[in-house]
Amino acid sequence: MKTKYIVLIGLLALLVVVLSGCASGLTASAWPAVMADANNAYIAGGPYVYAVNLQSGAQVWRFPDKPSTAAPFYATPTLTSDGQLIVGGFDKKLYSLDPQTGKSTWQFTDARDRWIGPVLATDSLIFAPNADYNLYVLNLKGELQWTFMADQSIWGRPVTDGTNVYFGTLGRKVYAVNLQTHKQAWVQTMDGAVLGSLVLGADNTLYVASYGGTLYALNTADGKTAWSKSASSTWFWSGPVLTGGNLYVGDGNGKFMAFPAAGGEKLWEQDLSGSIVGSPFISDTTIVIGTEVPGADTGNVYFLDSTGKIIRTLPLSGKDQAYGNPVGAGDLILMPLSTSDAKDPIMLAYDSTGAIKWSFIPPK
Amino acid sequence: MWETVIVNPFTNVLLMIYKLIGGNFGVAIILFTVLIRLLTHPLMASQIKGSTKMQELQNSKEWLDLQKKYKDDKEKLAQEQMKYYQSIGYNPLASCLPTFIQLPIMFGLYQSIMRAIAASPMQLLILSRAVYPFFRLADVVPLNSQFLWMNLGQPERVYLFGYGIPVMAILVAATTYIQSKVTLPVSANPNDQSAMMGNMMAIYMPLFMGFLTYSFASGLALYIIIGNLLSLVQYALLGKIYWKNLLPGKRPVPVQAGGKKK
Repeated sequence: MKTKYIVLIGLLALLVVVLSGCASGLTASAWPAVMADANNAYIAGGPYVYAVNLQSGAQVWRFPDKPSTAAPFYATPTLTSDGQLIVGGFDKKLYSLDPQTGKSTWQFTDARDRWIGPVLATDSLIFAPNADYNLYVLNLKGELQWTFMADQSIWGRPVTDGTNVYFGTLGRKVYAVNLQTHKQAWVQTMDGAVLGSLVLGADNTLYVASYGGTLYALNTADGKTAWSKSASSTWFWSGPVLTGGNLYVGDGNGKFMAFPAAGGEKLWEQDLSGSIVGSPFISDTTIVIGTEVPGADTGNVYFLDSTGKIIRTLPLSGKDQAYGNPVGAGDLILMPLSTSDAKDPIMLAYDSTGAIKWSFIPPK
Repeated sequence: MWETVIVNPFTNVLLMIYKLIGGNFGVAIILFTVLIRLLTHPLMASQIKGSTKMQELQNSKEWLDLQKKYKDDKEKLAQEQMKYYQSIGYNPLASCLPTFIQLPIMFGLYQSIMRAIAASPMQLLILSRAVYPFFRLADVVPLNSQFLWMNLGQPERVYLFGYGIPVMAILVAATTYIQSKVTLPVSANPNDQSAMMGNMMAIYMPLFMGFLTYSFASGLALYIIIGNLLSLVQYALLGKIYWKNLLPGKRPVPVQAGGKKK
């Protein structure tokens, strides 16, 4: 009988361990996001924010010294006009860092949920979207000025035209909030959640790509739909990129598309097969975008020309995935990578031809 | 394999129920539990019958004679017991099967709940890949994980005078205890090892389940509570429920050969 008791208690303990494993595998996790200034790339990846020298690819600093295991950084860091680096974590804290040293100058701790969307910084204000349904508006000292509560979590970066601030929510809404009154100017319902950032055109048009697979052009004055196009049978994750009068966006089926921003038929479409999560980097001659590889637990980075023709396909190694947004930094194109192996890089720096100039593997 | 066979089907069924009933995740979990119980009812009935048969045969003269005859030779006793099981066409493992089936369902459901709620970008991306092509995920994202006073994706507490009371964990422990006690037919044989094991389980299992649901998402607690209540209904329908076992000072109801309550 004694043996049976031991076996029984052992089984119960095993059950606890297995369920604990289930839970830990499902805690908040994310993929890295990068931005750059003239000297450094700043990458929010896992438990740290890193500054990486653009010339050498070496780490300049990392924040914090001792990471909290429950606090990965996901939101793309943002530089303010007065030289602060603003980044939020899954620990519900929004940090201002010194880009030279990585030291924290202030923290904003009022939010009740995770920071997933990047902040928008103007000359005097920081618009910080949070998963607790609130848009927090701070001054550059990190002091709360006002808040606006939406219907659902905000995962994308807001945009502003000086009259209103605009953002989308997981609750399928796009909001315009007046900067003077701090009240809702209008709200418009989409056919799916809005996960990514919105894009503001020069002609008072707001472009939205929805999780329902529709591309919208909204009038900023009243939120009315100027045009919309059901462009995907799956989803759009990130917002579109507007350049040269065209909108570029990729979907969950790996279709990468170009549309005229003024409305009208699709200009071209390239089938890249695997799901496209990030927004593309677009220069005059090159488009860079990451995709999953269907049926494999890895990804590709594609270089396309301005007509959508594939110039280069660059397979990633191991289980690396290119879910983040590639960004340009001088002559380099920086691609943040999601990886499950600590020996793999979390960022690759390509030149304009797709050759790897350096890769960044976080030091232990 | 685990994902394909358990977690993804569970997630899809949960989401389909959620969409059908108009977006209440708590009700979706309840209906999912009912569905699982209906599907596993034949196994449950077989377990209940198997347990009763076990109790009956352990009170039989042949069984008691075997215990006496080989009381000093445990190995031989085990062999003779197996022979005896075979001679009367009883498979002792058959009654354990439903219990083992419940475990992967519980693990799978927990993962499905967390997956369906998709509170972070990576979780939503995993969910996007897990749904079947005919299901339009955009129609249900984001899931409304609020049910009564609970966020089904978070451990539950009700705050009273500054103290967080884990109401669902307490209900899980209570219903598990009640379910264990009233479905436990007790042998007249004082040396009945399975009855002793059953009594021990009736004490430890509620504590274990309570601890589990104290720490994990309250959606799991909802599944266990509804599962326990449905289990009581199933036992009652088969006439194998012993409410008197709950009364203080009462000895559990013994079962005689033939399955009759004394």
